[in-house]
Amino acid sequence: MNQMTLSAQAEVGAPARLGVWRISSQALQTLVARLLPIAQVIAPVRTSAGEVDYDEITDPGQVCWDYSTTISSLKRYFFPQVEPLFQFSCQQGQFSLRPILDTTPRIFLGVRPCDVTAVSFLDGVFQRDFEDPYYRARRENSLLVALACGQPAANCFCICAEAGPFLKEGYDLQLVRLDEDYLVEVGSEKGAALVRENADLFSSASEKDIEQRERLAKQAENSFGEPKSYFAAALRKISFGPPNQALWEQMGEVCFGCGGCAFICPTCTCFTTFDRREGEGGVRERHWDSCCLACFSREASGHNPRREQHQRLKARFFHKLSHQFVLRNRRHACVGCGRCISVCPGENPMPEVTARLRRGEWC
Amino acid sequence: MVLETENIFLPHLAQIAAIHPETGDTNTFTLRMCDPQVRREFTWRPGQFVEASVFGAGEAPFGFASSRLEGEDFRITVRAVGEMTRALHALAVGDQVGVRGPFGNGFPLQEVRGRDLLFVGGGIGLPPLRPLLVEALAERDKFGEITLCYGARTPADLVYKEELAEWRRRKDMNFLVTVDVPDEQWKEHVGVVGSLFSKLRIQPQRSAAFVCGPPIMIRFVVQDLLKMGLEEESIITTLERHMRCGVGKCNHCLIGDKYVCLDGPVFNYRQMKALLEPA
Repeated sequence: MNQMTLSAQAEVGAPARLGVWRISSQALQTLVARLLPIAQVIAPVRTSAGEVDYDEITDPGQVCWDYSTTISSLKRYFFPQVEPLFQFSCQQGQFSLRPILDTTPRIFLGVRPCDVTAVSFLDGVFQRDFEDPYYRARRENSLLVALACGQPAANCFCICAEAGPFLKEGYDLQLVRLDEDYLVEVGSEKGAALVRENADLFSSASEKDIEQRERLAKQAENSFGEPKSYFAAALRKISFGPPNQALWEQMGEVCFGCGGCAFICPTCTCFTTFDRREGEGGVRERHWDSCCLACFSREASGHNPRREQHQRLKARFFHKLSHQFVLRNRRHACVGCGRCISVCPGENPMPEVTARLRRGEWC
Repeated sequence: MVLETENIFLPHLAQIAAIHPETGDTNTFTLRMCDPQVRREFTWRPGQFVEASVFGAGEAPFGFASSRLEGEDFRITVRAVGEMTRALHALAVGDQVGVRGPFGNGFPLQEVRGRDLLFVGGGIGLPPLRPLLVEALAERDKFGEITLCYGARTPADLVYKEELAEWRRRKDMNFLVTVDVPDEQWKEHVGVVGSLFSKLRIQPQRSAAFVCGPPIMIRFVVQDLLKMGLEEESIITTLERHMRCGVGKCNHCLIGDKYVCLDGPVFNYRQMKALLEPA
């Protein structure tokens, strides 16, 4: 785990599949048991409320291998809602600063393709221009085991967002359910090392297994039904106009400005910093923030460049969809997980907004 | 392993070496990096900014108010308006603060060599222009006419009063000053800063204007300069946004697709027009 590097995922266009194996459900349980002592293992588990969400497991039996989507994404494991950056303490007028980096090894199991794609997106955001050492520390010490999606949930549209239901890249390992066994696709050197170290649990995949994988991928793609989100048209219109002020104002009226969409979104990364005092010293923390919140761009003078909710809403969707940000981030910022549909108390989840942008009118 | 790489969110410690009161609510702080090596290697260009921390009160961006040519210590001019700036004003000489930076692109001084330079500052918009003026005067023969137009709300709101007197005495630059609301002793011009332009003989084709001040002042001054015939590319301003992280991560300073902290804060008017958020 200590030798993990990002390089295998970072190379664009590198062959995504470095090997294909097969593992039985039982051997998979054994593998999970072997991982528990060497890393914090995060997997989808059934909550007391009956929903499924990622959480730390202590027993292989806790993993929920049969689910459609989790309540939240993996974002909080790489970019926590409240994250300490450094501790400051003062003695006789002399400050000392101690950075707080989380290097806990974490293995993520059974992660849906949308959430893996979101992590690849975060890699770009936190590592371009200036590298974020906090993100890097968490990411370098992580390993992602994806679970290809067989059956989309009602709100899912990863297929429109090019983020699923099967992954082509971004994973260390991808599991594809074949009857009782799993096909294991290796996507990085890190993933290959895990297979090597546990070679006794894996067997070779046959031509037939790979054919079945292709069939299952097709079947999963075909199960989506009507397209939900028309990104291409929305992207072109939001990037190159003509401006549609009236439509944005309408959307502003049905936005509560609660920031729920941004908090639940696996790719939204607005944050603010805050000094929490403890005696003579304290901790500088960063907290999730949202460009949809009224005070987000307000300056000390009281001047707020985005006074109206529709301006804030527009800024958020421009950031998520525009060609200008595709150039910066290499893709648009929606992975089609559908969580904003469940969360938005107003009427502005991603598919609704893209549909309105495409038509140029309320619909 | 990770600890060895530079941590973009970890400030350097700096000591307040001097505090100079400018107006009732504005002080200039001279800061000195505590680590001698950091002090030597810390360089910046006019127009760039630092993120300064008062530990326990937070962090905020400030443009450099001094040039590297003036020494390793650097100055920021700060008005006490929020929690962090009020906490900074409560500190004394010798107290420690945090400093990250320098960030941002800086003014294009090399690119305007050979031209007339017009500096237009409003209120606390003069400090970011000051190091640029200092560097232009340091290689005076490289430029044509150099003019500073400075406006403030009242005479009490003028910063750098001693230095204004020096600039006025200099033979190699023009200095004009104005206030919106004069007091009884005021003998200079009264009116907005743009009203000084009629006193100047500006050759628009060979001039570059550097404008800094409150948003409303920038808007009017830019219009005045365009009317006088300056090219859009020759009107250069520095934008203030809530640059929270300084490194293009937190998104607070985004305007459309530009990060003020990475792509700016210095923009020419042509770029500024394109910055307007799409409707």
